[in-house]
This record gives sequence, structure tokens and C-alpha cells, in this order.
Amino acid sequence: MGREYRTMRSDFLSRLISKPTQGAARVSREQPSRTVPDSWSDLMVAAQNGHGGAYRRLLSEMSDWLARYFQRRLPPGDVDDAVQETLLAIHRRRHTYDPQYPLGPWLAAIAKNKWVDQLRSLARRPVNELPDEIAVGDHEASVISSSVLASLLDELRPAQAQAILLVKVQGYSIEEASGQIGQSPSAVKMNIHRGLARLTAIIEKTPDVE
Amino acid sequence: MSNESLIADLSSNLAPVQRRSMLREGGLVFALGAVELALFLGLGVMRPDMHHMSGSPFLMWRVGSLGILAVAACLLAIRSYSPTAQPRHGLMLACALAVAAIVAGAVVAPSGVSGRTLLERTAPASGMLCAASIFVLSLPVMALLGALMRRAAPTQPRLSALASGIAAGACGAFVFAFCCPFNDPLYVVVWYSVGCAAVAAVARWCLPRRFRL
Repeated sequence: MGREYRTMRSDFLSRLISKPTQGAARVSREQPSRTVPDSWSDLMVAAQNGHGGAYRRLLSEMSDWLARYFQRRLPPGDVDDAVQETLLAIHRRRHTYDPQYPLGPWLAAIAKNKWVDQLRSLARRPVNELPDEIAVGDHEASVISSSVLASLLDELRPAQAQAILLVKVQGYSIEEASGQIGQSPSAVKMNIHRGLARLTAIIEKTPDVE
Repeated sequence: MSNESLIADLSSNLAPVQRRSMLREGGLVFALGAVELALFLGLGVMRPDMHHMSGSPFLMWRVGSLGILAVAACLLAIRSYSPTAQPRHGLMLACALAVAAIVAGAVVAPSGVSGRTLLERTAPASGMLCAASIFVLSLPVMALLGALMRRAAPTQPRLSALASGIAAGACGAFVFAFCCPFNDPLYVVVWYSVGCAAVAAVARWCLPRRFRL
């Protein structure tokens, strides 16, 4: 089973991490910086004082930053939901930002919390419900997602990683996955549930990035 | 709804907000603790030999260590409500303070306690009453810390709730220390810890349920 899993995992990763085209590389270089601009702190202070224009500009720029943040961490179909949830959380908790400190860690902490929430909701969804656009998307995001996914899957037991890879990533039904890996359907479901719970715990323990 | 229309909705009619301030929130908790202590002592429950005992190392240890622990735990709890805070570090610091207080208690133990049996020293019947009193006295501070936590944005609400419970328990124990008639550090360590642990467990279980980022 271990060798089968390793073969399946390397097939999956090699399909995702194909050689980037020149166009993709150019798009990647043209993307704005991933760090948070210093001016956002001033815009947030203005927003805390009730300046709607500054707040609109801040949220628009944050929205782009958040979209890039979630594209590398969530399936494409969940990115918009996560961005909007985070914008709402920022709006509700904007009074908690202290201008003495940089805005980046504050924003990253809220975004990470919403990411964990999205992962939890992903784990609660029926296992045979998979967005059609799961395999479609930006090339860079796929490469980074697959790299993150590979390192996260390494933290799980092979049976859990194999079940998640087949059902949640490659879109097989529970019955198909059960036939492929020789586990009962209930064992596949249990491995997916426990594996996603373990992944959520691992992500919660990792320090914020960006 | 698209991101643009959501942003337009959020930024229209934007009202100014009052920023969180650790100083203001700490002051609120301190004021509540002071009012609670004054009301409690106003009921006439202070131990009668308090003036006679005022210079004793044991009483200074009990009141002093609980006071320091209460102030430190309240500040750590309030700090943990910030999204960027790491409550784990604060909790470890609170535990270290508690251990230091326990070690100091062994040094200041009054003479005459060492010859008694463990059961006599811990006096379980009175101890349960002490722990229950600490639990009740900690409820106002726990409610205030819960309200502050709800208004803030802790990203680790379970740990923040635990820190709030420890802070509320330490405040309750500090107030109760003025009326507790027992002069044995072992009794204080055992039953005050039980009271604080019960408050922390209830806070850890209840407060995150009332919170949503």
C-alpha cells in the first residue's frame, strides 16, 4: 500500500507541477508583491476614524491580496467565499487594529483564521461533493498548492493521505476509492475525516506566514 | 454578491470606531475587582485577626502572590484578545508565576503545621467550601473578561478563554484570601488551585461558544 501511495502521489504531483510556460512566468513576474504595503496602516487608521473612501480603497487592495493568499491554500471554488468572509471579519473587528503595530501580521492572523474555518467547512461537506473547477486554475497557484499539499500529506498516515488524495483531490467517489485502495467505504470516510482534522490541527499550530 | 459590491456596502456610511486599549480594558477589570473586594469586605467577612496578622510572612505571601498572579493573568488574558497575540506564551508565564508562588509558600509556612497529618492540613470539608467561594467570587470578572473577549478578535479563542478563566480564578482567590481563616500553605495551594482550575475549566468550555471572529 505504501508503494502504491507513493506512486499515485508522484503521478499526481508530476501532473500538477509541469514545466511552466514562458507566458506563465511573465504573468508571475508581473504580479504585485505579496507583502503588505505600509500605506495600508494609514488607510486603516483613516477607516477607524470613519473615512469611507480610504476604507473602500483599503478593502479593494486587501481583497486582491486575500485572493492571492487563498488561491495558494484553497480549491478555486472556495476562494471567493474565503475572501468575502475575511473582508467581513476585518470590517467587524477593525477596532482591534492598533496603529502602533504593522498591519500585515494583523491581516495575516485574521486570514489564517478564516482559512482554518474554510478547511473545517470543507471537512464537513459530503465527501462526494467536489467542485467541477477543482482542476482548473492559475498555474502558479497549482504549483504552490501542490507543494503545500505534498508537505502536509507527508504528516499523515499513508492510509489517510491516500484516501484524501483520491477523494478530495482527484475527485473519485468513496466507492471507487474504496476499490482502488482496498479499504471498506466506511474506513475511507473515517480516514478522510481524521486526516482532514489532523491537517487542520497542523495548520493551526504553524506560525503565520506573510 | 461580488467582492466589489460587498466592499461598496461595507464602506458606505462608515462610522468611526473606538480602538481597543489594553489600558482601558485593564482599568475596567481592576475597577471591577476593587468594587468586588470592597463589597465583600463591606459584608464583614474579613478574618478578625487580619490586623494582628498584617505583618506575617504567610499572609503577605498569600495576598501578595495571589495579587501578582491576578494582575499578571488579567493583563495576559487581555493581551491574548489581540489577533496577533500568542496566548500560549502568556499561559506558560502564568503557570511559571503560580509555580514560583507555590515554592515561596513552602518557605513561609508558619511553624506548627509540619506535625499534623495530611488530612488535618487539607481539611477537605472546609476546602470544598473555599473552592466554591472562589468560584462564585470569580464570576463577575469572568463575565467582564468574556465580554471584552467577545468585542475583541482573538484568533485562538480556546486558549484566550483558558487565560481568562485563570485570570478570573486568580481574582476570585485574591478577594477570598482576605477572609480565609486557614494558615497552612498546603491548604491554600490545594484548595485555591481547585477553585481556580474549576473557573478555568468553565471559562474554557463556555467562553469560546459565545465567540465568533
